[in-house]
Amino acid sequence: MDEINPVDEGSVKSVPPAEALEATPEADETSSLEAKAWGVAVAGWLVPGLGHALQRMWGRAAVVFVTVGLLVVAGASLRGNVFSARGSDAFDALGYVADLGTGSFYFLARTLERNGADVSHAGGDYGTRFLATAGVLNLLAALHAYEAARGRKA
Amino acid sequence: MSVNGGFQFSHIQAFWFFAAVISVAFGFLGRRQPKDRVKYILWSFLLFLVVGIGIGWLMYPFSR
Repeated sequence: MDEINPVDEGSVKSVPPAEALEATPEADETSSLEAKAWGVAVAGWLVPGLGHALQRMWGRAAVVFVTVGLLVVAGASLRGNVFSARGSDAFDALGYVADLGTGSFYFLARTLERNGADVSHAGGDYGTRFLATAGVLNLLAALHAYEAARGRKA
Repeated sequence: MSVNGGFQFSHIQAFWFFAAVISVAFGFLGRRQPKDRVKYILWSFLLFLVVGIGIGWLMYPFSR
């Protein structure tokens, strides 16, 4: 016959149900912080530097705005390829995702590039890279702003 | 800066521009203190140049 170990009731901690955990003030605060962090990240993506500006990180906000802006203006001026959603292959799709990373500046690039892309010369190729880099840099900055909003050391 | 095709970079100008802009962005995002930022920007810029020129020379034998 199996021996049943007696349980010391004093050593067993009662586990509160999940609903009770969710209702604690700490959980509310965490949820609110997470929502705010997502808001900051989306703002930072839409307008480069806004995610940092909302947290009063003025230097970083200005630098992100200016660097992403410079890359977009230079890329469009060099007649780099601003990819659209109507791409024909995986590289076009990847380029579109990278370009979209600039948020509202994507439309600025399209507006600036009235004559369309011209990658038949090296300058157009540089421009394509500048535009993609601007997008990825802005996504990195938005991620940085998100982490800062969550209270991580940034 | 002319937007409609009048603006051009040579290869080396594009390279310097890219290295400078990205180094400044990395420096401000990666460091908090002004002194640390300046050191990081200069170090990053230097590494961009060294690595870029190094890769250029590595590719040179296969360029034609």
